[in-house]
Amino acid sequence: MAKEKQEKQIDLLQGTLDLLILKAVSLGPLHGYGVLLRIQQLSGEELVIQQGSLYPALYRLEHQGAIASEWGESENNRKAKYYKLTRAGRERLAGETQKWNRMASVIGSILRATPEGA
Amino acid sequence: MSLTSIGARIRSQLYSWFRAIFRRDELEERMESELECHREILTRDLIRSGFSPDAAARRARIALGPMLKHKEEMRASLGLHWWDEVVADLRYGMRILFKSPGFTSLAVLSLALAIGANTTIFSIAKRLLLDRLDVPHPEELRLFHWAADKHVAVSNMWGISDDTSTGMGGTSFSYPVFEQLRRDNRVLQDLFAFKAVGTMNATVEGTAQIVQGELVSGNYFEQLQVRPQLGRSISPTDDVWGAGPVAMLSTSFWQRAYGSSASVIGRTIKVNMVPVTIIGVTPRGFTGAKNVQAAPDLFFPFSAQPLVEPRGKGGSLIGEASPEMWWLNIMGRTSPGVSDEQAQAALNVSLDAAVQASLRPNSSDTMPRLWLGDGSRGLFLTRQFFGKPITVLMAVVGLVLLLACANIASLLLARSAARQREVSVRLALGAGRSRVLRQVLTESMLLSAIGGVAGLSFAFLGRNALPSLLSNPWEQAQFDAGFDWRIFAFTALVTLATGLLFGIAPAWVATRTEVSSGLKETAQTSTRRRKGLGGKAIVAFQLMLSTVLVTGAFLFMQTLYNLAHVDPGFRSDHLLLFAIRQPDSRYPPGADLALHRRIEERLRTVPGVDAVTLSEVALISDSMENTNFLPEGQKLDSNKEQSAPNNAVGAGFFKTMGIPIIAGREFDARDTATSPKVAVISQALARKAFPGMNPVGRHFLAHWHPREGKQGDLVEVVGVCADTRYWTLKQDLVAIFFEPYVQASNLDYGATYEIRTRQNAASLAPALRKAVQSIDPDLPLMDVRTQREQIDATMQQERIFAALTAGFGVLALALACVGVYGVMAYSVARRTNEIGIRLALGALPQRVLAMVLGEASWLGLFGIGSGLAIALVLTRLVRSLLYGLQPQDLSSLAGAAMLLAFVSLAASWIPARRAAGVQPMEALRHE
Repeated sequence: MAKEKQEKQIDLLQGTLDLLILKAVSLGPLHGYGVLLRIQQLSGEELVIQQGSLYPALYRLEHQGAIASEWGESENNRKAKYYKLTRAGRERLAGETQKWNRMASVIGSILRATPEGA
Repeated sequence: MSLTSIGARIRSQLYSWFRAIFRRDELEERMESELECHREILTRDLIRSGFSPDAAARRARIALGPMLKHKEEMRASLGLHWWDEVVADLRYGMRILFKSPGFTSLAVLSLALAIGANTTIFSIAKRLLLDRLDVPHPEELRLFHWAADKHVAVSNMWGISDDTSTGMGGTSFSYPVFEQLRRDNRVLQDLFAFKAVGTMNATVEGTAQIVQGELVSGNYFEQLQVRPQLGRSISPTDDVWGAGPVAMLSTSFWQRAYGSSASVIGRTIKVNMVPVTIIGVTPRGFTGAKNVQAAPDLFFPFSAQPLVEPRGKGGSLIGEASPEMWWLNIMGRTSPGVSDEQAQAALNVSLDAAVQASLRPNSSDTMPRLWLGDGSRGLFLTRQFFGKPITVLMAVVGLVLLLACANIASLLLARSAARQREVSVRLALGAGRSRVLRQVLTESMLLSAIGGVAGLSFAFLGRNALPSLLSNPWEQAQFDAGFDWRIFAFTALVTLATGLLFGIAPAWVATRTEVSSGLKETAQTSTRRRKGLGGKAIVAFQLMLSTVLVTGAFLFMQTLYNLAHVDPGFRSDHLLLFAIRQPDSRYPPGADLALHRRIEERLRTVPGVDAVTLSEVALISDSMENTNFLPEGQKLDSNKEQSAPNNAVGAGFFKTMGIPIIAGREFDARDTATSPKVAVISQALARKAFPGMNPVGRHFLAHWHPREGKQGDLVEVVGVCADTRYWTLKQDLVAIFFEPYVQASNLDYGATYEIRTRQNAASLAPALRKAVQSIDPDLPLMDVRTQREQIDATMQQERIFAALTAGFGVLALALACVGVYGVMAYSVARRTNEIGIRLALGALPQRVLAMVLGEASWLGLFGIGSGLAIALVLTRLVRSLLYGLQPQDLSSLAGAAMLLAFVSLAASWIPARRAAGVQPMEALRHE
């Protein structure tokens, strides 16, 4: 039974979906379905991504050279495309992660501000 | 992101994009299989988590979502979206263009012709009128001119006079004047001089040839800053008295005669029988200082002039030998800080002193005044001779370009009006406005691109065909028209811009109209009526341009016809011409006359020859002789024009040429070198010099040269001949006198032989050549041609004009026809409903016919009327190019108007018939 806790809109996740994919692939080469599973796994089953919207993002990242693909055999003995991180992708992952953390702390500090005075 | 990472990303994107395009099928397959694989694994997982296989499959499909959309997004990620759209647009555009082949081919043809013609003509114009000498800093060069009134001290000139309406002027100076100007010069850089002497006899490696030569001063190459590509240049040490004759070759001559062999340095070439040492080759592209278009074959220093091109007293024009002969051109580079006015003033002083010293003028003579002209294009004779015709040609092809653009515009407008519905359907189906516009843009650009490519090939053809148009059958035209990419780009840009503008503008309007009204076939919106006017305005514009072009064509064709049917005054058929130019060293004055007598007699014995004669100047060859002439009873008056054209001819000239003798006799065996001087004068001269009396038996004085110490001859008139044209067909009633050549002082420029024969040139020429060479094997027959060909050669310009304007006129007619047809057909189609109602209400079909024809007539009236008005103005500008008719020639104007009226009525006939044949019920049902 698939748990569906939080489904965020894809539009909002546009930039972050790329980041999540890069992170997922950084831990080892995966095919499309595998990337999906891993992201869900890493999020502790909190995040569910719409199935089909993964592939445009994967193709875009490959187009930009952040990930590279290789053909191999999947679990059900079919030819499947496995994606792995390239060096440029690794650099990008590091940079984007840093940016994300900075953004999160800045917004966090804004949100923590209390009204002045009593 | 750093710069390197951006670069890496772009590189990766490009690579990925190319790979996607070229391995498209593979890509599609793999996308499909990747998504399939995903679905299978998902299904399997769902089955594992407890769903039944069918339910799992269904859930998986739903979860995955629309495959098509995902694939589309995947393609978009790869950047294929844009590519796919462009390819689709192109395919659709090609289909649309091929669906109406007639219109498409007409549009492409008119585009191609316009682009090709414009590129060719403008390239030629640039070559003739704009290009500068191929030397460093040509804008520094100044050419020396002198100007004066008719009483100037200068009397002997060998060169081309400046085009002046009053007085005289030219670019030729004498050698002593040049030397003094050079000595005194403090205002320009060192002055140098040159003279293109024309054709010379040369023997190259044993073969006799005609070559073009140029005499130059010792500092010529140094001042022009031109370095030789082989050997060394002519230097000041070569230009001293007693130096051995040397020569430089031009690149084209070096290639032609010596096959670009490097061993040519040090070899000798015989010019005018004199051995000359070759010392170098000028660089490629160098054409001398005289003109930009063609290079002379050989360059000599002035010191070689008495040997290779003897003229003047004792054959020498240099030093102090012939101070009265003004013949060489002078140039100098400007010095920084000195203005042209300052230089002119200083040099004028020097010129005055030089003229005083060398010519010793008397008190009534005026002094020539010096002025400096631009020397960057040499003598710039092309402007003098070709300036007007080239400008007119440019205007004509400019009109053709406008016409082609108008044609494209009207075609595209008509097409977009017809596709209003299609645009509305697309909009209704959800296409964005920019997407529709992009599709129309692609179509227009496709049309322009096809036309542009065709235009390029036309331009190449034109560039190759034009030199052959300009050359005579007996001369090689050394004219490299060149191909200027910038001009092609400009013309292509103009047509492209027209295509875009007239493709986009109606589409823009179409996308703005409401979709609902666009989909209805008979929707009447307020913008509709105005749209019809746009198309009509363009066709009226086309008719106007076509009227102007067709009028011009008629004018030039009539000019050609008039010229071709001018009676030259002699029988020009069956007459073979060739020139013999004997070398002066072997045949000094006296011996040359004897030579020609021997040749004349020998030629008479050649079988096939009916009659032989010769003349100093060939008739209708754009050249003439002119000398002093004073009829008896008149006094010498230096203020009056006392000269006449003349020609020295052989015995039997008038009989051979078919010129009737009106009174007296022509030359025969009685007239020898020792018998009294006689002449035959033309009727025009008889009327002018001996009015009201019989000229036979009268005398006149001729050939006197006070400065040369020649007293002149007292000549008796023994005959009067009918008027004949002399150097050109355009000038009649020439007051000319003929003398027997045996009584002339010399024939130092050789003579032209006229052979009357019934055989053709190819079969007779070898026998003639053998006959001449039996007298002197080193004498070639030059310029073998028939008299008819000679005359035709002088009409070359008129012929080119008539041919080009006639061709463009036909094109203009065709375009006007198509334009009118298109606009009338559209108008009728638009009003089908209205016509149906009229017919149903009882109008006769003839009435409908008349109504449509009337609409077309208004269109024609506007277009042709304004065209005639403009033609009246424009044709006035080409007056000097016409012959035998006025620019406001009524027959041409009326002819053009009638032709175009006929064409436009004929073009609107079919739509009119169609309108009259409309079935009312069909039309009313046509909703």
